[in-house]
Amino acid sequence: MKLLIIEDEQGLRESIDKYFTEAGVLCESCSNLATAISKIALYEYDCILLDIGLPDGEGFTLLEHLKENGKNEGVLIISARNSLDNKIKGLNLGADDYLIKPFHLAELKARIDAIYRRRAFNSTNLLNYDLINIDLLAREVTVNAISVVLTRKEYDMLLYFIANKGKVISKNAIAEHLWGDEIDLVDSFDFIYTHIKNIRKKLMEVAHKDYIKAVYGVGYKFL
Amino acid sequence: MKLAAQYNRATLIITVAVLFIAGVAYYAAINYIVNKQLDRDLVEELTEITDYINTNQHLPRPLDFEGDQTTFIKTDKDNLETTFYDTPYHKNRGNKTEQGRAVQSLIYLKGNHYIIVVAESKEASENLTQLIIGITILLTAILLLILILTNRYIFSGIWRPFYHILQQLKAFNVADTNNINLNKTNIDEFSELNDAVTVMASRVKNDYQNLKSFTENASHEMLTPIAVITSKLDTLIQDEKLKAEQFIQINDIYTATNKLSRLNQSLLLLVKIDNDLIHDHATFNLKDVILEKEHQLQELAQNKNIELIHLLEDKQITASRYLIEILINNLFNNAIKHNPVDGELYIRLTQRELRFQNTGDHNALNSDEIFERFKKGKNSDGTGLGLTIAKNICSQYGYSLNYSFESPYHTFKITFND
Repeated sequence: MKLLIIEDEQGLRESIDKYFTEAGVLCESCSNLATAISKIALYEYDCILLDIGLPDGEGFTLLEHLKENGKNEGVLIISARNSLDNKIKGLNLGADDYLIKPFHLAELKARIDAIYRRRAFNSTNLLNYDLINIDLLAREVTVNAISVVLTRKEYDMLLYFIANKGKVISKNAIAEHLWGDEIDLVDSFDFIYTHIKNIRKKLMEVAHKDYIKAVYGVGYKFL
Repeated sequence: MKLAAQYNRATLIITVAVLFIAGVAYYAAINYIVNKQLDRDLVEELTEITDYINTNQHLPRPLDFEGDQTTFIKTDKDNLETTFYDTPYHKNRGNKTEQGRAVQSLIYLKGNHYIIVVAESKEASENLTQLIIGITILLTAILLLILILTNRYIFSGIWRPFYHILQQLKAFNVADTNNINLNKTNIDEFSELNDAVTVMASRVKNDYQNLKSFTENASHEMLTPIAVITSKLDTLIQDEKLKAEQFIQINDIYTATNKLSRLNQSLLLLVKIDNDLIHDHATFNLKDVILEKEHQLQELAQNKNIELIHLLEDKQITASRYLIEILINNLFNNAIKHNPVDGELYIRLTQRELRFQNTGDHNALNSDEIFERFKKGKNSDGTGLGLTIAKNICSQYGYSLNYSFESPYHTFKITFND
């Protein structure tokens, strides 16, 4: 997968770049609209990560540019403005998703993966990881051809883990992914533990392998 | 008391007082003139009688002469000044008594002294005085009527700009977008007042707008740094060389950052509700929203083993679904968070109201304070904005949100008022 990161905040841009590069994504990044437009003209990307507030204009300009030029890149908008109008405008202009700052890199990775999957595998809708096979349309998980019955939240978590395989995911990131940011985090940590225990158990029964490793105090890692 | 009434009262009192004094003065003057005239007549009469006596050397028969009554009384006094005085006057020697004027003098006849009294009726002059008083009263009444009518005209006409300003000031709301709208007036004082009010209103609005946009901008500007912190933490925890206690510290930073971010989002939301910036109104069933929220939060309730009972009627409302979800979420979260283990939570939705009743602390909360910004319970780790937001969302749609406590239940009640 090839990703273009358009973000003017250097610290954020570097973190995203590092996280995705380590996950095996080919990343290019730039900090303004002009550079982004010239890059799009020169290269093909699978996905574009677009900040709305850029120093030389609004990210919407880029969406219009993509539309005019018949480009078909998946676009995820990141914005500090939690505004419904902006979100609707972005989605109407052809963006695939809208993420509000601040966000966890794990969440960003999961969302980008989802966009990429929808665009790249829209024929099969199958996702494989190691022994695990997931039918994304039917929301069915099989391991070694044996069906694994997961609850809705467990299924969400599994996809989230697979998108961030090999990375330590903080409990905060998981909680926000499952319940949104309206919930008090401390209350939700117990449920995360319960859900993870269940997923582990269910996968262990069929794959005879522990996929999830706890990182003491902070979170979990999917291997 | 109204300005008009006050003014009317003052003018009435002054007018009546002045007219009363004028009336008294009038009466005194007329009385004086009339008496003078009568006295002259009496003197003339007296002279005639004296002349008659001097010529004929005997007293005339006491008789009515052109209505004058003359009386002679023999006296020993040899000295009496001529005096005039008011006296009752017996008409036709009969029973009828009128006001009269008399003069007494001393005459000398054949070695005897006589007091001569000549009396005259004042009837005619009395009538004149009464007429004058009548005219005065009539004039007073007419003058008062004119004054009242003039005042009424003045107040409805000249003071109209004032009442307009007053009305506009009463309707003034800093959060409104429309400006204060004042009529032009020729009266200097009112046009000055107009200018002052306009300047003040626009300054207040300006300050308020500045404050709001400051809040909004500050919150927005903070979100990007928070995003940087979060992303750096996400990167930091990938480092396998970190020790366990460092991870615990990182986790604390995560929690604090999350709280900061929620605080920011809440402040931004408050600004948006205050500015009436959320317009995605739709008509939907409130019951569905509650059931959805319940599904989402039931794990939290189960975790505390809270007995959750709902009794929900279908209730269609027209509002922003986004805001109503936040409202329900905040009330729900509140009811779960402050509930003890094995507590109870009742949700009741009717056509008129929505109630969240939960067990919790044994004492009532301060119902004046709980809806204020950053007021929160001792054990709450929330932002202190949840109930403020709930309250503001309710007032946005004309609902009222009230808190009450009836042991052991804390109740938050939304009344729909429609």
